[in-house]
Amino acid sequence: MRPNDKDKNRYLNRRQWMAMVGIGGATGLAGCLGDGDDGEDGDDGENNENTGDNNDGESEDGNDGDDEQGVDTGDEDEGSSGENVDELPEPSGSYVTAQGTTFSTLNPLYNTEDGAGTAIARALDQGYYFAPDGSRKPHHYELNTDDGGKVWTFKLRENLQFSDPYGQVTAEDYVYQIQELHQSSWAATADSTSWPSEITVEQTGEFEFQAELPSAQLLWPESFDPLLYPVPKALLEPYVIEQDTQGLRQDEELLELQFTGNLGPFTLDTWERSGGTRYSRNENYYMHDHTEENELFEKSPYFESAEIQVIKEQSSRLGALEAGEIDAAGIPPERAEEFQSKDSVSVYVSPQPYNEVLSVNMRDNGWSAGPGNLFRYNKFRQAMAAAIDKTLITDGVLRGFGTPHYTWQPQWSKWYPSDREDEIPKFGTEIYGKEPAMSRAKEAFAESEYDYGFDGDTMVTPEGDQVTLSWISGAGVDTRNKIAEVCVQELEKNLGMSINLELINPTTYDQNYFQTPSDGEPTEAESIDASWDAGRFNAGPRSVTASEDWDMANVYGLNTYPRNPIPSTAFFDGPEAYFNAVGYYPDFNAKELYDKAESAGSRDELKSIMGDIFVNVAQEQPYIMLAFDDSISGYDPEIVGPTETFTTWPVSTYYRE
Amino acid sequence: MGMAQYISARIVYAVVVSMIIVTASFLLLYFSPNPNIQAAAQQAALGGENPEEAVERVKEARGLNDPIHVQYMQFVENVYTLDWGWSETRSEPVTDAIVSSFKYTAQYSVPWTVLSVLIAPTLGIYSASRMYTWKDHLATGFAFFGYAIPNFFFAILLVLVFGVWFEIFPITYDTTVPILSLENAWQLVLPVFVLVTGSIGGTMRVARNESAEFMNADFMKTAKAKGVKPTRRYTHHVLRPTLVPLSTSLVSALFALFVGASVLVEEVFAIPGLGRLLVQSIISQDTSLVLGTTLVFTFVGVVGNLVEDLVFTMIDPRISYDDR
Repeated sequence: MRPNDKDKNRYLNRRQWMAMVGIGGATGLAGCLGDGDDGEDGDDGENNENTGDNNDGESEDGNDGDDEQGVDTGDEDEGSSGENVDELPEPSGSYVTAQGTTFSTLNPLYNTEDGAGTAIARALDQGYYFAPDGSRKPHHYELNTDDGGKVWTFKLRENLQFSDPYGQVTAEDYVYQIQELHQSSWAATADSTSWPSEITVEQTGEFEFQAELPSAQLLWPESFDPLLYPVPKALLEPYVIEQDTQGLRQDEELLELQFTGNLGPFTLDTWERSGGTRYSRNENYYMHDHTEENELFEKSPYFESAEIQVIKEQSSRLGALEAGEIDAAGIPPERAEEFQSKDSVSVYVSPQPYNEVLSVNMRDNGWSAGPGNLFRYNKFRQAMAAAIDKTLITDGVLRGFGTPHYTWQPQWSKWYPSDREDEIPKFGTEIYGKEPAMSRAKEAFAESEYDYGFDGDTMVTPEGDQVTLSWISGAGVDTRNKIAEVCVQELEKNLGMSINLELINPTTYDQNYFQTPSDGEPTEAESIDASWDAGRFNAGPRSVTASEDWDMANVYGLNTYPRNPIPSTAFFDGPEAYFNAVGYYPDFNAKELYDKAESAGSRDELKSIMGDIFVNVAQEQPYIMLAFDDSISGYDPEIVGPTETFTTWPVSTYYRE
Repeated sequence: MGMAQYISARIVYAVVVSMIIVTASFLLLYFSPNPNIQAAAQQAALGGENPEEAVERVKEARGLNDPIHVQYMQFVENVYTLDWGWSETRSEPVTDAIVSSFKYTAQYSVPWTVLSVLIAPTLGIYSASRMYTWKDHLATGFAFFGYAIPNFFFAILLVLVFGVWFEIFPITYDTTVPILSLENAWQLVLPVFVLVTGSIGGTMRVARNESAEFMNADFMKTAKAKGVKPTRRYTHHVLRPTLVPLSTSLVSALFALFVGASVLVEEVFAIPGLGRLLVQSIISQDTSLVLGTTLVFTFVGVVGNLVEDLVFTMIDPRISYDDR
């Protein structure tokens, strides 16, 4: 086990789990549940939970992106130098976006929601952001390392001001926040998992502090762990002295963002709990003095006011977008073509990191068809992957707004092993149909101790009955439901299975089917050497199971981490991987490869190691990988700023023509 | 029994009913898993602490180790002093959440109720007075249309036609508009129209059938023979007895719509009202907020029944207090 591996697992919490999982799917929620379709952001493991609502382009709160930036130095100045405009626009009008979910809290210390992160970001920037070319740019601070990622220096801008009476933002505010809150045992902040006590934080100047990590991390900024909100020390002190968690959570200054001074493009005026947020332009925005990356910051933001409306009903949200009542909203794939033909809306299609996968249950409560569990055989999972035509999903269900998924990285990612394409089997496209599926299934039968086989085109159990399995899809997530229907038909056609599709509420599925009991004990001796202390998504070997039996499911989409691929260790680094509710035991030496990846000294070395991992994952299909759906957003055509890239310039640089 | 006694008895009855509901709510909560305890245990486990100790700390801090009767008395006191706790999903006191939401619900429910009460009986009596004519069929058709078409679907349809296509009405509710303004009235036209058409159908049919009984009654013939004008005949001799059974169906219909249909209409028009608050609190398992909103709807129901009982005695003096 790697150094601190146990601690890492222990500290993974709901926030990180949510970052791993897109419950609704990018288009799933956009299209069907209407969650969070504010046309903003997607993430891959930063400090906002992701419910799959990645419909959009803006990237103001630490979004995903591909990895342009050099990992050796952590310099922030690679990539483009920003936008040049002939004449800066004059601020006018209002920028109104809509999303489907309300905000539980706007307290930046406790927020774990994607939508609320966007609402906070209107009034309070975070430390840095990623530009459209993927390069890291400073907001409140620059982040550098001189020793390959062991010690990171945070250098604050000197024109950062809190609201009265808190005054100047200094390194002391950050160090106090980290040491007294994030590293405390009582505060339980959203960032507490990012700042374990093993990280030593030290103030080295009025505007500078350092963080020394237990081991070098070349891609630490890409993990979003060092992404912080500035909060005044004086505001926090009373709660720290009293260790008053409830008071800190409910503090009005934090909840209403009353301390934000010049630290964000807008100032929060009102937060109507069910209705949304309204802001007015921050005349003193600190970025006015920092135009080296983008000239547009000089007068930003370019709207006198801003608003985020909560419009839960998708048809109303899209109607408002079409009628010009709002300036941006996510669009479901089935409506994307329609909106593309409208002059009143500009549609932006962007990549996002969450995938569409079929989870197959390799634990003892999976494979209800008969004895044994064929899901445990690589060849059988390959057979399933070969039986499903992925173009039916990308072209049919996703209406062309998606791409086939072969390994745990989107093909546009810098980390995708494009130099090893020939080693990545293209199941579901190049390798598709009855013959390749059945031949692989037969190889799996041969490996199994039970006498499964085919009776004509029908897959049968040792008793001669047709193999009958269950498939769970998330109720209310239409896109996922349609994908499930397509896959069921394909598996029945090409592998002769009988599959019963059932829709279950995602929360119910999570609690009753996916989570393993944290105090579970194996019921039989396991021959492998592994630890089982990783929590509710992997409480033990395959004999430890959730309370309900299940065979297959596509309730969750999972994060492929295209910016920093190392976190995929949580899925694949061995039987005891943090997120292993399916009970996958890799047949390749995943742990060793991930250990090498974490200690890689250069980007090339890291890419080579990750390439090994991705090739193996493509061959073993731990999850049957199906597709990546695109993030689709609609904007008022007069809005200038959104791009069809993984990340974009902050919304403060947007303007109306 | 005199009227004063009757009213007192009904009020006492309403208090008893509300106490029963509060007690049932307490018992349900008492025997349900406490999310705060679960959260504390989980947080402790994640932080490497002993979950059982964390659970004990939370129980002690929240008085959950007290005997059940002590907890019950505290709960009742909190309910009646409006100390309904903190909403975790909205980060505000539950009472604040309810008050701010009620403000929006009232804006459409008041005109909706007034219009329903005025239109439904009028349309019913009009229909009864022209029974089996094309006017009756037209009115009945209109009522059935409103009754049959799902409010949710009808609302979306109206938004599409009058909001998106013709751009006559705004699509979503703007909370920044002053409450007493023409702009606000204008943006409430569609939601109120949807709710009124949904609520008058059933009530209009009851009014029609009930008033039909009286159209050819002896007292109507007498009134006609004495030369009483049709309008006065209908309003004084038909409407009044019709209102007795009608008030029962009107209250229940309005209340059912208040809880059910208003939720859907609030979703479509993005009105941050009570219905949406209730649904969101249930979905997000915000226990304090569920309890608070449930109590509000319960009290509205209890008060509605009380008002109904009192109205009975006023609209029909023949009803004996002793029988009730």
